[in-house]
Amino acid sequence: MNLIRGFATTIKHLLEEPVTVQYPEEERPVRERFKGRHVLKRYENGLERCIGCALCAAACPAGAIWVEAAENTDEERYSPGERYAKVYEINMLRCIFCGYCADACPTQAIVLEHEYRLSFTDRRDAIYTKAQLLEPPPSGAADTPQQTEPGQFTRAIPEMEDPR
Amino acid sequence: MTETVKITIDGQDYHVPKGMNLVDAAKLHGIEIPTFCYHPKMSPAGMCRMCLVELGSVQKDRESGEVLVDENGEPLVRWFPTLQTACTQTVHDGMVVRTQTERVAEGRSSIVEFLLTSHPLDCPTCDKGGECGLQELTMEYGPGESKFRYEDKHHAEKHVPLGDLIILDRERCILCARCVRYCDELVGEPVLGFHNRGRDLVIETVSDPPFDTVFSGNTTDICPVGALTTADFRFGARPWEMDPVPTICPHCPVGCNLTADTRLSADFGGKRAIKRIMPRQNEAVNEIWICDKGRFGHHHSRAEGRLRQPLMRRDGELVPVSWDEALATVAEKLVQHGSKAFFAAGHSLANEDLWELRKLARQTSRRAKLGLCPATVSGAQAVQQAGVGVGTRLQDLGAGDALLVIASDLYEHAPLWWLQVKQAAERGATVVVANARPTKLDRYAAHTVRYRYGEAARVLHNFAAMALRNDKLDAELLSARVEGWDALEEELKGSRVPAEQKSAAEALLEAQNLVVLAGNDGMGFEQHAELMQAAANLLIVSGHVGRANNGLVAVWPGANTQGALDMGFTSEAVGEAWEKPPAMWVLAEADPLGEDARMAQAFDQADFVVVAAQFLTATARRADVVLPVQSFAEREGTFTNGMRRVQRFYVAQSPLEGTLPAWKAFARLTERVKDGPKPFVAAEQVMQEITEKLAPYAEMSYANLAHVEEQFPPIRRDDLYYGGTAYENTGGLGLQWRTDAESPRKRLSVRPVERSARRWEGLLAVPLRVLYDRALPFAASALMDGHVPAPYAELNAEDAAALGVAEGDRIALEAGAARVELTARVNGHAPQGVVLVPQHLGDVLIAAPETCVVQKIEE
Ligand code: SF4
Ligand code: SF4
Ligand code: SF4
Ligand code: SF4
Ligand code: FES
Repeated sequence: MNLIRGFATTIKHLLEEPVTVQYPEEERPVRERFKGRHVLKRYENGLERCIGCALCAAACPAGAIWVEAAENTDEERYSPGERYAKVYEINMLRCIFCGYCADACPTQAIVLEHEYRLSFTDRRDAIYTKAQLLEPPPSGAADTPQQTEPGQFTRAIPEMEDPR
Repeated sequence: MTETVKITIDGQDYHVPKGMNLVDAAKLHGIEIPTFCYHPKMSPAGMCRMCLVELGSVQKDRESGEVLVDENGEPLVRWFPTLQTACTQTVHDGMVVRTQTERVAEGRSSIVEFLLTSHPLDCPTCDKGGECGLQELTMEYGPGESKFRYEDKHHAEKHVPLGDLIILDRERCILCARCVRYCDELVGEPVLGFHNRGRDLVIETVSDPPFDTVFSGNTTDICPVGALTTADFRFGARPWEMDPVPTICPHCPVGCNLTADTRLSADFGGKRAIKRIMPRQNEAVNEIWICDKGRFGHHHSRAEGRLRQPLMRRDGELVPVSWDEALATVAEKLVQHGSKAFFAAGHSLANEDLWELRKLARQTSRRAKLGLCPATVSGAQAVQQAGVGVGTRLQDLGAGDALLVIASDLYEHAPLWWLQVKQAAERGATVVVANARPTKLDRYAAHTVRYRYGEAARVLHNFAAMALRNDKLDAELLSARVEGWDALEEELKGSRVPAEQKSAAEALLEAQNLVVLAGNDGMGFEQHAELMQAAANLLIVSGHVGRANNGLVAVWPGANTQGALDMGFTSEAVGEAWEKPPAMWVLAEADPLGEDARMAQAFDQADFVVVAAQFLTATARRADVVLPVQSFAEREGTFTNGMRRVQRFYVAQSPLEGTLPAWKAFARLTERVKDGPKPFVAAEQVMQEITEKLAPYAEMSYANLAHVEEQFPPIRRDDLYYGGTAYENTGGLGLQWRTDAESPRKRLSVRPVERSARRWEGLLAVPLRVLYDRALPFAASALMDGHVPAPYAELNAEDAAALGVAEGDRIALEAGAARVELTARVNGHAPQGVVLVPQHLGDVLIAAPETCVVQKIEE
């Protein structure tokens, strides 16, 4: 009796669609809120959202983020306001993908997106630099640094609605 | 014991010093009264109203003075109807304060809410974020939610450079006026001010050049928000990311306690770099202030020009070699030259370096001479006898006390002492300034004494004569322990004292405590020796030695002239080397060829020159071997300041590869000379040996030097709103060694001093030291470049007219072996017959006064 029941299960599964995907030839889309590798975002005008405040680094429980900031000028502007991240690195071997960095970010500059192919043959390759993390400028927008009008981007954090 | 009064705070009785500010009195007992505009080092302004409390006083019967009580036996209190600002209250007997009531909480929360209506949401990018008084008090006392509409927020300019060192963000400014009051009140240089009114009120700089004071950086520490930031740190790191390392300023004899905030830095190859220099509290030294030279003059430590490899001369060229090769060559030469080798130290070497250099010299030859460069100072013995008493704090001097500043331009030579002497004057101390030329301190002097160059010692001699004449002698001391008094008395009796000196002397001799700050402005070391002895004479005969707040403070050049003298390095030895040029020179962070034209000939016949340096100085360029040594930031060590306080500094920055601390380089050489002792591993061991072998330093072990005690006002990282962002002292308060006057058994000696001034024909070129100059290593801190003037000379109007020279003209000046082209300034600073020539602005190689010829350069 048990034998029949066992075979029945096997046969049932044989008839089902297989769940296995032929990775890497084939990839399964991840969920909307999946937390993969970080991306540093930009505004539509191409300026970096990140203002180098290092709050992500402060929030990170794994000490995975390293930020060194510097000062923007209108001749060489990376982000709105006075401060930008000159060095921005995340060590993917340390990261536990908790997303606290994204929560801490006052400009929503750092977002954990859907890239999950993170394997390395050298530990040093696991440290993603700013150039690797930064998304390309939106079409039509210039890359950073940009030359901007004086007085145009004086504030680091865009005007908010009533913050309440 | 200071008088105390009884006050009641939140139902508890406390005894506090009479006349204390209520905020401080509460702080003394650990009770927080939050403040923005009040600062414990400044008088109250009552501008921000953050310090609101309920205030009352116990009622007393008018006639009997008895405290009135209610039916329960509790004292009756008359309360002010409204909340009062605590910072404008001085404690008095029977004062009753409530700091914890609902009304007070509401008052505080409204003030915070109100301040935030005009404050930007900048914390993420603000340099103060994480160490901000406003953040701190908002979290603690703020309302949590605002009733104000966000769109109505006040906007103002965010990038307003106040000069090239400090940048103002007007939006962040909460108009507490701490910065303005700091400049007006504490520094006495009103270079900041308010502009406009009401909602448009802003801070601006009102001086030209902007923010024209050497204390500008301190305003960034006491600004309770991030409105003032320093150009070199801006956005360098978040406060919590940095490691604070206690260190000591390497630039002047004050020896300000500093904290180097350090962090790994991509720009510095991923190694540990200094991100900013902050003051560290030491109430006996710099309190919580530093000057801009100390704050911004650390960049040389990571500058381009630093030497990173030993160099050796081959076919006339200096080429890089290994340490081994360089040391072996030098050791061989030392053995070869033996007693013909001469050793000279600069004035900012650490004690450990000096000690190892001395050991190297002794190992080379028992008769080796130890020289001190620049060879312009003397007077080690005067300091040893009559130096200021242990425990001296200039901030303790006030009414009834006196300070004499002679032959020093304190503002340029020791800015923090200038500040403290100025403040002492304002507390009522009698300040006498004696100099051959006007200085910035004259403004605060009760008496100014002008003498002719060369006559400084005579002024002090005359003061001592006045002590004799007016019977202000310490007869007991003189008869018990002083040698040479008879001879001195004889000389003093015969002195004629000019009237202006009489009144100044009388004012000084009236004082309970007397401190003499003596520099070497406008003299060579021979004259300086006499000046220092004259100062010791004056202090000893009048009995102002051997106790705190009395005695001699030496305004030496450099950070560690005192240490060099303590280790036996002297200018006199260098003087001998001029006369009889040695065959071999070993120079440690000394640059005689870069500061004194007379030295060139002493090097002419030298067979071998070794220079240990951080940079390729003029002397290093002449050397046969150059050893690259580390800056103060890269190694451990100690400096001894002008008040004989030995202070420790720690490793702040990763050392440049290829460099060694100077003491280690010398120790390795010693090992190679005639099988010398094995080098120590750590600087601490060197100091250990010093404590064993050098009597005054017996107590100076690293452990003792690291000792800290609680200080008032409390400077901590958890109540930044109160004292500002100066660091609390965790590295040690340092220790002063005891003078002979303080050891009751030791004998003191006085002697008549040489006081006939050398007359000169024509014009006398007098070298001046200025704070911001182009001397290495400071000059490599490029940030300060804009503050260093082009080489100039100051001329008297009459002399200028005789030479046909006008303000701004180019002149050629020839003094002895030195020839230099300068811009003339005719501004009334120079006495007649004198050309004042600031050193180290360019190739001004005049180290001591010398007659000169000036010619106008026709364009
Ligand atoms: S996801 Fe978490 S662990 Fe990873 S960098 Fe962000 S905060 Fe750090
Ligand atoms: S990613 Fe966000 S939190 Fe991190 S430094 Fe940039 S702005 Fe700040
Ligand atoms: S700049 Fe700072 S210290 Fe000066 S008034 Fe504004 S908040 Fe106060
Ligand atoms: S006063 Fe002297 S010791 Fe103090 S910071 Fe300035 S240069 Fe350095
Ligand atoms: S009013 Fe008292 S601290 Fe500002």
